[in-house]
This record gives sequence, structure tokens and C-alpha cells, in this order.
Amino acid sequence: MSLLEVEELRVKIRTDRGEVTIVDGVDYAVEEGQVFGVAGESGSGKTISVLALLQLLPRGASTSGRALYGGRDLLRLSGRALRRVRGRELAMVFQDPLTSLHPMMTIGRQLSEHVRIHEGASKRAALARAAELLAEVRIPDPERALHAFPHQFSGGMRQRVAIAGALATRPKLLIADEPTTALDVTVQAGILRLLDRLRRESGLSVILITHDLGVMSSIADDVSIFYAGRIVESGPTKELLSTPRHPYTRALLDALPHPEDDGRAELLAIPGLPPSPRRRPAGCAFHPRCAYANDASRVQTPPLVTVGAARLLACHVDPFAAPS
Amino acid sequence: MSLVEVRELDVVYRRQGVDVHAVVGASLALERARITGLVGESGCGKSSLARAIVGLVEPAAGEIVFDGKPLSPLRRGARPRHETRLQLVFQNPYSSLNPRRTVGSQIADGLRLRGEGDRTDRRTRVGELLDQVGLSAGAAGRFPHQFSGGQRQRIAIARALAADPSVIVLDEPLSSLDASAQAQIANLLVGLTRELELALLLISHDLAIVRHVADEVSVMYLGTIVEEGPTREVWSSPQHPYTEALIAAIPAADGSGTLPEALPGEVPDPASPPSGCRFHPRCPHTFARCPGEDPPLYELGPGRAAACFLRDPATAQTHEHEGVI
Repeated sequence: MSLLEVEELRVKIRTDRGEVTIVDGVDYAVEEGQVFGVAGESGSGKTISVLALLQLLPRGASTSGRALYGGRDLLRLSGRALRRVRGRELAMVFQDPLTSLHPMMTIGRQLSEHVRIHEGASKRAALARAAELLAEVRIPDPERALHAFPHQFSGGMRQRVAIAGALATRPKLLIADEPTTALDVTVQAGILRLLDRLRRESGLSVILITHDLGVMSSIADDVSIFYAGRIVESGPTKELLSTPRHPYTRALLDALPHPEDDGRAELLAIPGLPPSPRRRPAGCAFHPRCAYANDASRVQTPPLVTVGAARLLACHVDPFAAPS
Repeated sequence: MSLVEVRELDVVYRRQGVDVHAVVGASLALERARITGLVGESGCGKSSLARAIVGLVEPAAGEIVFDGKPLSPLRRGARPRHETRLQLVFQNPYSSLNPRRTVGSQIADGLRLRGEGDRTDRRTRVGELLDQVGLSAGAAGRFPHQFSGGQRQRIAIARALAADPSVIVLDEPLSSLDASAQAQIANLLVGLTRELELALLLISHDLAIVRHVADEVSVMYLGTIVEEGPTREVWSSPQHPYTEALIAAIPAADGSGTLPEALPGEVPDPASPPSGCRFHPRCPHTFARCPGEDPPLYELGPGRAAACFLRDPATAQTHEHEGVI
């Protein structure tokens, strides 16, 4: 059985101008020890879809569907049951670690408090565990780092501290929302290696949200591509990035500077803009930007269907189907 | 002669009574109709160098020559007319545009300051500028929040173009954008550079995108330029270990599942830089000479140089023997 199974997840947000559907029915499963990638442009609903799992949505939001974790539906948990899961078994790190670290508290106090609340450890034991955690994420001189404040660390080190905080309660699933986007590539490489090690050594599952398909390629086992609140394509990372089937996935890859071309070719940008959740086009939401759209694309939303072992695709046209 | 020449520039800030050398002896030349990339990690001094080039900070040493004349630092009064042809576009198009003024009136500022035409002429010109950056003339009456990140960056570029610049310095213009918007803006910049014969300095921490658009590239580490050359050559055969590390850290979206190489250690505090070669504590090839001496930029060919002792003609041969790089 999968660690997490999300079925027909929908998120709507009430605004002054009526209800807006941000996430429009997504299904996926995360396996133990797996890095599950969620990719897509800003506004595609990828962040909201995971915040829904932790019930961290803004006021006025409502969810439907199911998110099964250990036999329980995360979307229906409340009170103690919710607190027991959130922050203990499911932890989250954000793009900007400064949002999750307290600026006026030492690293040691922040990490040990977390351990004491969730595990009921003594002060001394909690501090020792905090030092262990810092060592685990490769912070040099952990004992000294316990007495330091967040601003005394660089961006990369802060993200390591934030990951240490998320790991404090030995969670089974870590949700990382653009964890390396604000970092330099050299530092990003270190964080990716850290996540990879944690996954291998302690069987941690990770939901990795990123718009960077390079990051995805290096660490995710499976990827789902989000567009306008829906999954348009998913499958094992290796296959999906080497033989993309959805015109949107292909266009995203074509927009990237490619290492093998000679460098001066014009980049292939996708025409137009991703639609706002208020004005999503009828039919396939990508059709106004798609060179392959047909009549069906304009009127009917394509369902996400199996197109090969573990590959799913939502496209009426399927222009890149493997010749049979 | 180059349109902009930066010679041996130092930028120094005072922080809690200590001098911090953000830029140390940097030289750079910008040519008409060419894009020069300036890459390096955060804190390497690339933004300080950019600010010095447009006159926002006063250099502590060295000089900047723009169109044959030394550039004066920006003061309270109006900038000498010819220097308005040097423009800066900031990273964040959310904070660099005024949220309460229409796009058209913000673009028209540059025209008004130059005393160009009457109101009708200016309106026509704003329409042309919007068209030039790929937006419709109707955008002029709208406000910044009505546009996406990529469109806002186009507006910021149109505003810079309003001053009829010959040089535009762009500080991380692409880093807050999605891949597709990034590709659109990158293509726009290349087009404008060629068409208007602009000299562009593109500052970025993303070597992959710089490689795609820049003709020449300079790599900066902890305040100094460690390598420079035609972009294609720098990418295909980096001559400084730092450049090599930067390239190896870029994850490729090829589905290969290979983890990028991490560079050990951290960028040191510019207030107390390491002795000798500033990169030596993180360099995989460090040898006896590195901690003691500061490597000069060794000429390696036309426009090609690297500040690494491995490239010193006197020592290069022995190292080739040992199979280093």
C-alpha cells in the first residue's frame, strides 16, 4: 500500500467575486522512500494542493476528495488527531527558510522545543537530539550552531537548519516546496544530495514541488506535471523527461537552455500565459497555447488515462505517442 | 573602443567599522550590440559592480569610462544628459514599478525627463515602446498588478528604453520567472540588443541561461573576476576550477537521474577573505602556491583569461604532467 494516496482532490477558494477552483481533481500516490515530484508554472495549483494535505489553506478555502495516509483521511482530521500527524509524521519546508525559523530564538532552542513538544523529551535530551539533527544535515560544528541565530547563517545553511527542524520528529513524509529555488546552484546541489541521502538512509518520502525540471530530473522518482489545477501528465521521471507525451511537458522542456545544443539558438518560449484560476479556458486548459489542439481540446476536458506502464496522460491528441 | 570600460574597480562598504571589499580590481568592457554576462554566487559582488557601473555607488578605486568620458557618481542633482543613456533594470519587477501609477505614465517618465515632445507625442512613443517589448499599446492605461511577472519585466525594460539608452545593465532580470517567461524575456533581450545596437550587461547566478544569451561572460568570485571569455568557450572548456564547479552544479533536465556536484564549503565573508587565491579553501586543485599569492588574470587567448595558477605559463606544464584539469 502507498504511504499516501490522494484521490479527486479539489480545492476551492471563496473570494469577493465568487468561488474559484484552484485545484481541480488530482490523483496521485506517494510510496515509501520515494521522491515524488510536482512540477508546473506559478499559479498551477501545485502549492495549494499540498497545503491542503496539511490543512494549511487560507481562510475561505474548502476541499473535497480524499488523502489517505495510514488508513486515515488527512482532509477530515481535526483537533488532536490532526496535531499528531501534522508536524510529526508530515513535515514541511518552504522556499524561504526565514519564514519557518524564528529570528530571535537560537537554533538550539527552536529545534529542541520541537523535540520536547512532540516527543516529551527532557530539556537536556532534546538539546542533544538537536545537535544530532544539525550533524545529520551536515551543519559544521553543530554544538556551536545551537547557540547561533538564523541570521548568522547563509541561505543554504538556513535551509539545512529548516530541514533539520522538519526532521526533528522523524517524519515519514517531508513536503518540500521549492526548497532550492532561492539558492545558488552550488548550494542547491548540496541540498539535493542531502535529500537524496535522507531518502536512502532513513526511508523518508518526499513530495518535492519545483518548477525546475533540472532539479526534478536529478532527484525525483516520479513526476506529475500540473497545469491549471490539474495533472496533465505523470510517470517515472526518467521516462517522462526523455519521452514527454503531453505538448505542455514538451514545451516546458523546450523552453530550457539545453546543454547539448550550440547555445545560440533562440529559446522556444510557450506562447501566451498560464491562465488565471478565474478564467480557465474550457476543454483542455492548455489548448489556447497548444500547437496541436483539435476541436475536442476546445470543448472537452481530457481525462488522465493510462498510456503505458505507470504513465498517465491527459490529452485528446497525444501527438507524441510512440509509434505502435 | 568599448562603449563602457570598467578598469580595476574597487567597491568598498563600511560595515560596523570594518571595510568590506565587495569588488576588488574588476575590469570589464561592454560593446555595442553585444551581451556580456556576469555570473557568480550571491554575495560575489556582481550587484555591487552593476550599481557602480550605473553610478549608484561610488567606486573606492578604479574608473568607469562611458562613451569616452569618465562617469560621475550619481548625486542629488540631475544626471548629465549623456549619462541617462546608461540604464539599470532591477531583479524584482514587483518592487521596481510603482503600484499606484499606470504603466504608461511610468514609461513616459523617461521621455518627460528628456523633455521629449508634447503629451501626444509621448503617448505615441509609449505605445511604440510597449510594442517593442511585445506588449499591446492598451497596456499603457493599466496598473502593474494587472500583469504577470514576465510582463512586468517587459514593462521595466520598456521604461529603461524610454531614456534612449545605449547601455542597459540588468540585475538578475530572469531569476524570478518561470522557465517559459524566462525564455520569452531572454529572446526579447537578444532581439533588442541586436536591433537597437545596445550594449547589455546581464547579471545572473544562472549560468545556463547566461550561456544561451551572452556573447561574452565574466565569472566573479568573492569580489574578483576569476575567468572571462567568449561564452561558448568558457562553457565548453572552463579554465578556472570555480567556473568548472558552477557548471557541474547545474542539474540537467534530461531524466538521467544524476545528482549535480556540490561545491564544498561556503562563500567566505568578504570582510575577511582568504589569503592568496580567494577560492583556494574550496578548490579541489589547491597546491602550495595558492594560499600565499594572489593569482593575476592570465591571458589565454583573444578575450580569454583565467585567474588560476594552473594557467600560469610557468607552471601549467608541470601540472599537465600530473593530470590536473
